[in-house]
Amino acid sequence: MRRSALFSWLQAAPLALVLAVFLVVPMAMIVVVSFFDYSAFALIPDFVFTNYQEAFGSAVTWRTFGKTLWFAGLTWAITLSIGFWLAYYLAFVVKGEMTRTVLFVLCTVPFWTSNLIRMIAWVPFLGRNGLMNQALIGMGAIDRPLEFLLFSDFAVVLAFVHLYTLFMVVPIFNTMMRIDRRLLEAARDAGAGFWHTLWCVILPLCKPGIGIGSIFVIVLVMGDFATVRLMSGGQSASVGLMISNQIGLMQYPAAAANAVGLLAMVLLLMAAILRAIDIRREL
Amino acid sequence: MTKTTITRRGALALGGAALGSGAITGFPTLWAQNIRDITLRQVGTGVSGLNAIAEQVKKDLGFTLQLTIGDTDAVAQRAATQARAFDVADIEYFSIKKVFPTGVMQPIEVSRIKLADKLVPIFTSGKLTPTTTPGQGTAPHTVGYVEGATSTKFAAAPTGWMTLLPTIYNADTLGIRPDLVGRPIRNWRDLVDPAFKGKASILNIPGIGIMDAAMVMESLGQITYGDKGNMTRAEIDKTIAFLIEQKRAGQFRAFWKSFDESVNLMASGEVVIQSMWSPAVAAVRSRNIACTYQPLEEGYRAWGSGLGLAKHLTGLQRDAAYEYLNWYLSGWVGAYLNRQGYYSAVLDTAKANMSENEWGYWMEGKPATAPIMSPDGKEMEKAGAVRDGGAFADRMGKVVCWNSVMNEDRYMVQKWNEFIAA
Amino acid sequence: MPGRLARFLLTALFVLFLAFLYGPTFTITVLSFQGPDGGLTFPMNGVSLHWFGRLFATQAVGDIGAALQRSLALAAMVTVSTVVVSLAAGMAFRRRFPGGTALFYLTLASLIVPSILVSLGVGLLFNLMEWDTNWYSSGFGAQLTWTLPFGLLIMFAVFNRFDRAWEEAARDMGATPWQSFLHVVLPIIAPSVVGIALFGFTLSFDEFARTLMTAGSGNTLPLEILGMTTTVTNPVLYALGTASTALSFLVIGGAILGVKVLRKRGGG
Repeated sequence: MRRSALFSWLQAAPLALVLAVFLVVPMAMIVVVSFFDYSAFALIPDFVFTNYQEAFGSAVTWRTFGKTLWFAGLTWAITLSIGFWLAYYLAFVVKGEMTRTVLFVLCTVPFWTSNLIRMIAWVPFLGRNGLMNQALIGMGAIDRPLEFLLFSDFAVVLAFVHLYTLFMVVPIFNTMMRIDRRLLEAARDAGAGFWHTLWCVILPLCKPGIGIGSIFVIVLVMGDFATVRLMSGGQSASVGLMISNQIGLMQYPAAAANAVGLLAMVLLLMAAILRAIDIRREL
Repeated sequence: MTKTTITRRGALALGGAALGSGAITGFPTLWAQNIRDITLRQVGTGVSGLNAIAEQVKKDLGFTLQLTIGDTDAVAQRAATQARAFDVADIEYFSIKKVFPTGVMQPIEVSRIKLADKLVPIFTSGKLTPTTTPGQGTAPHTVGYVEGATSTKFAAAPTGWMTLLPTIYNADTLGIRPDLVGRPIRNWRDLVDPAFKGKASILNIPGIGIMDAAMVMESLGQITYGDKGNMTRAEIDKTIAFLIEQKRAGQFRAFWKSFDESVNLMASGEVVIQSMWSPAVAAVRSRNIACTYQPLEEGYRAWGSGLGLAKHLTGLQRDAAYEYLNWYLSGWVGAYLNRQGYYSAVLDTAKANMSENEWGYWMEGKPATAPIMSPDGKEMEKAGAVRDGGAFADRMGKVVCWNSVMNEDRYMVQKWNEFIAA
Repeated sequence: MPGRLARFLLTALFVLFLAFLYGPTFTITVLSFQGPDGGLTFPMNGVSLHWFGRLFATQAVGDIGAALQRSLALAAMVTVSTVVVSLAAGMAFRRRFPGGTALFYLTLASLIVPSILVSLGVGLLFNLMEWDTNWYSSGFGAQLTWTLPFGLLIMFAVFNRFDRAWEEAARDMGATPWQSFLHVVLPIIAPSVVGIALFGFTLSFDEFARTLMTAGSGNTLPLEILGMTTTVTNPVLYALGTASTALSFLVIGGAILGVKVLRKRGGG
């Protein structure tokens, strides 16, 4: 017994080592640096609370965190609504393993092109003279270009949904595929209609998948900085953007204080979602 | 753009100029056996991190120049925090104000720079001519020299030790789409004209954007700054409040952070008036879209950048670096950069490498006698065109402020974030 | 199970979604065929293959070739390490061992910590310890914190459904643990291992948030692209995008074929 436990320990050691050096220690560093002082030039090792005071004493920080949560919540709702039905389609409507794989692959191919290039491409797609507006005007649906398509909150959420829906689809799809089809047959035999089956059988069994997908989407949105900046034209704030701005200006302790705040929020959200589902068992 | 074109152009220029100054010949001066093994790693922005320069270095000097490019903030950051990852830093003077005191760079011995006395006086005394006033803000001459070989304290007057070797600079103003704007633009305050609501943009780099905002506010008469480049907290508050008001009123379509974004905003017509950089205007024009770099009554905001040496450089690498620095001022690079609309820190050698037509157009504000070509061979301007803003003295002589790092930098950034989040 | 109307609506939704996903990709492809005067936005300026030709020539700024090489090398390193480490850890988690639960939650945390924080933390660590940052050391480690959790989660999913009967049969026939791993377990989970490899490669190749502060003096491809946007770029970027999309189709097509072949062999 003990030997096999030791063996397992050795097998898991590389993972533990990588995470220790590249996750635990850096996070510890961030916490330590958040208490440093700084001038325009350098870090001053110290133990002061000024960074936290400046960060969390300012209304702007709270508003930014709020806006970020709002983006996360909105994106979550939309990706869930769309993602659920996409997963349903792939799991229950599509017949044939091959077709399913091909459709999946089709969904992932756009993500192999550089993220940055794709983000630059939104401008010609959604801009005043862009494809979308030209198509709509050509169809006669509108006569002046829609300004809100780009450089707005709409554009930001659109880009988020574009990037992260798949992260919602895949876990839900996985749980759907594990549903014993006999349960569905039994439900049908018992006289349950489409919606009834959905509500009473499928949805509860999909909870772990929804939970995992939600964690992915929320976390990715909350940590994002590039998408928000590019799609809002620099006019919207997010916590990630605030941190990256401070990093860019070498105000590391301030960035670290905000980082600790972000980390705390993200861990809290994760803990809340994990209470609802037992990941380890449900994988 | 092919290598042969450059070589031919270079040869023509050299041929014509060889009769004149002897400064171009004389490279390489380092004849060490292993000079070809030397690699100098340069970190800088895309402004001067040009592959053409690296190619020419290999040809003229024998060693390899390896370029890593990033945006202004990333470059300053790498210089300050990843000091052993580069040998030469190509950064702006306002960045060096933050970077040099961290001790990651070594000062440059002026005595080893052959053309030190030919540097444009803006970098040494701060005055283009004896009668111009130095611009406000972090003017290069205020952070250009340190007190001694091991000092990190900026000197008040030129010493024998430079922080950066000046290389490029320019005077910035607003760029406009003359075909979409509908009226002549004369003042900085036109940026916030309600007629351009939803069609204006401003730069989202705090240290620079706030200067543009300051120019606008002074133009409106709303405030007179003591030193735009070093604002007091009250001045910062007022400026940011003004910006927030404009943002809420929907004046700005977007903010841009990278060069590219500014070009796209203008070229696609999303924006008709914005803070802009000179080559961005040229880029929009090269797509046959009208774009003007508009000289304004109140003057220009300027920036300057230079080359600095990493502290860890010693021995042969250091010698190679000095070789590179001297070569940079010797004319080929100067001419190359002048042709893109920037100015070179040593003008005489650049002039020797440019045709009379080019010099007349880019530097003297004269109409072009023949089409003006970009460094990669495309036609940029037709004969008869005049450079926006005119001659060198007209533009650099009207510099009112420089890109800056303020004493209240920390506060300013906080307030700027407030503006973005509003 | 769902009725015809539902089937139709769902298919329509899927198609619309695909169109949405491909919108930017489509824009990129169209714009990459511009003539020499083209820019990054509409209106289009001529039609030609000019920019594809320029893709392989020296650029005015930026070195796509070298950055691409670094990105490929890094992605290869990350892929191999992710597969090996995830496999080992996945095998480890089939039993209980001291610290197992903590390690599991740590891995989850690694997935959840925003990329920019990892970048900041690793950058600060290397800076304060006065180690050099490099794409093959700090950048490599930072990317692993992103790919390893994915690998581990996939391994969990696989082993939870794994039928131990096969292994027991192998052991009854006298195979050593290593042999039973190599000849029984591995072939069965091979498609998932390929999946982990694909995931690892994809996540690494396009990653920039974690490498932003940890790459040192050589840029990876995404960072190089970011650097190139600091000066005038041209449709070369779009040509790059189109080329990489085409390449992806090829690679994924190859991977699917590979999986099919493995399945045939495993089943037969």
